[in-house]
Amino acid sequence: MIPGRWTAPRAVALAAFAVAWLAAGLGVYLALGAHRSPVATKAPRPDQVQATAGPLRRLPGTLYLVQDGTLYRLQRGTFTPLLNASGSATWTMPAVSPSGQDLVVVRREYAYSDLYLVDAAGNVQQQLTHDASSTVEGNHWALYPRLSADGSTLWFDYDPKDVYNSYNVVMAVWSMPLGPNKTSQMRKWTIPNDYTGGDVQPVPLASGGMIYTKYALDTTANKILGQLWLSKRAGSEGTPLTPASDDCSQPALSPDGQRLAMICTGGTQLVSIQVATFDGTTLGPRQVLVSGQVAAQPTWAPDGQSLVYLAAQGISGHFQLWQQKLPPQPSPSAAAPTSTPIPTRTAAEASPSPTPTPLPAPVQLTTNLDFDATSTIAWHV
Amino acid sequence: MGWRGALALLLAGLFVSGLSGAFAYFLPAALVAYAQTGQGTQGRSGARAGPSPNSTPNTTPVPAGAPFTVLLLGSDDDSKFQSDAVLTQSMILVRITPATRHVTMLSIPRDLLVPLSSGGEAKIDAAYSYGGAADAVTTVERNFGVHVDDWVWVGLRGLVKLIDYVGGVDVTTTNPVLDDFYPADLENADPYSYKRVLVLPGPQHLDGLHAMEYVRSRHGDIQEDFGRSQRQQQVLLALKAKARSVNPLDLPGVLGSFNGEFKTSINLADIGRIRSLLSLASQINDPSQIQQLVLVPPYTSDAVVDGADVLIADWTAIRALIRQYFS
Repeated sequence: MIPGRWTAPRAVALAAFAVAWLAAGLGVYLALGAHRSPVATKAPRPDQVQATAGPLRRLPGTLYLVQDGTLYRLQRGTFTPLLNASGSATWTMPAVSPSGQDLVVVRREYAYSDLYLVDAAGNVQQQLTHDASSTVEGNHWALYPRLSADGSTLWFDYDPKDVYNSYNVVMAVWSMPLGPNKTSQMRKWTIPNDYTGGDVQPVPLASGGMIYTKYALDTTANKILGQLWLSKRAGSEGTPLTPASDDCSQPALSPDGQRLAMICTGGTQLVSIQVATFDGTTLGPRQVLVSGQVAAQPTWAPDGQSLVYLAAQGISGHFQLWQQKLPPQPSPSAAAPTSTPIPTRTAAEASPSPTPTPLPAPVQLTTNLDFDATSTIAWHV
Repeated sequence: MGWRGALALLLAGLFVSGLSGAFAYFLPAALVAYAQTGQGTQGRSGARAGPSPNSTPNTTPVPAGAPFTVLLLGSDDDSKFQSDAVLTQSMILVRITPATRHVTMLSIPRDLLVPLSSGGEAKIDAAYSYGGAADAVTTVERNFGVHVDDWVWVGLRGLVKLIDYVGGVDVTTTNPVLDDFYPADLENADPYSYKRVLVLPGPQHLDGLHAMEYVRSRHGDIQEDFGRSQRQQQVLLALKAKARSVNPLDLPGVLGSFNGEFKTSINLADIGRIRSLLSLASQINDPSQIQQLVLVPPYTSDAVVDGADVLIADWTAIRALIRQYFS
């Protein structure tokens, strides 16, 4: 490439070389970037992933799940968005009515949340609560809605204000008739412990009482831990169903009301999903279905023969939907309820069922979605 | 020049271009590594530089495979404070024993009343604001009788961006965290504005902002700063779990995500050491390998000194704990 010998073919060759060099530099830069770990990969929307076959398609009935603040309906392997996230508003915690025709869903804004009655197609029918305020601390949360067996009473969490200490914001379980403008009939059921987060996740019983999660400071462990409680009437102290040290929460009652699923951590970061018989007053021995995972939201199938739950998967840590089939319910004699909660120290050490029927392996139903593990799942036949 | 010469020129150019591409890729990380890592130990107060009474100078490199101790410092670095003169609301001593893959985390309460290495007595979170990381390290070393090999400081936005860069963290939050007076200083020009925060209980995937809310909120916790310390340790362990999936090619992105809200005495240009640290982090998977300590009573007790709520240390008990886990 001596100037004196500069020719057109040489100029073309040099230009081609320059392009190749530029491409090489850019290529190395992009290739290095492409080999970064894919931890922050965003999951696709569920409705962009259709199951053509497999266990997801075989799930009976209709499920409602939440991803990225959008409520999806899952039927025969197909996800359909029902309520879309909009701006800062997200939808979460669906609860299906006994008829399956309606849902109560939480619409959460950054400072408050409200309950809405929507039909099965996702059309908003009524706003049930009005928790927004012009002052920051005047807002309220309404969460974890559940409907009574006859569909007439709405149970949910609400944070009343402590007039003596504005820092003490805790949730309590409340109930009110289902319908618009019924908030004046709200009835407080539980008395939460101060500065703990309070009482959450009510599960109404056909008998009129309810099971819920109460948070309290465990002075032995120096930690705030969750404990399942049974309350048979509003304002009563109720009775604990699980030991505090087991740190159990997210109760889910089977359709026949005779078994209770829950998650327990023993105060650790890992979770076990457990099932116990329930006689209306106490829990029987617990069977560990899943352990050593970051798993949440056990939800009964309408026929009571299986549970679905969410578990973190892979390096992304996104939560996927799993199914655990269950053995037939133990006979009453085999699952005789105990008069006191079982003395399990940790979730991993929970007593096995007296009829230790081997469990089939859980089945992973989705692979690359990103469900909200703080949202309940609703499942109706 | 014949075709051989042209081919040689092409290949040489491709090689140089490739190197240039790699250089451009790692340049941001190199600049951050140069500017914010491998920092010395001279404090603004001038009190630091020499060894603490119970330690050797922390400029001594840690022999490969030997246990080492890192002081993690976290600050509210919003506009309420003068830049680089911030309090360290979070101070966590981490002892790592590579041979046994054992980790001990000890949260130091920010309200602990101590003599500062820069002089006088104050809450321990003030040490950094008076003398930077060096004074914070020396204050910890002198009071706790522990040798600190390295320190890491992260600002609020830095932690948020780091967690977002790694795609969030999986945390089983202990209880509902509700706070009607949480600082809205990250999204608002007024550093004294506040907002409502709700972090729901149970297993979940937290992005940077919500992880920050979980570890920073304190008004609604019956254990106050102790509860917050436990939550900070949870999120740190969740971040450590993410280290398994991070590789050296992530360094430019990770360091770039901090945008200046990260400083450390560790030389991040030492790729060999970084790789060994990431490898070590990935090998610590068993929860039984991790000891989490918080200085609740009887290690500390409440008191009011000059009208300020402080914690008084039982140094005999604390140093016994240090000897057990940090020696």
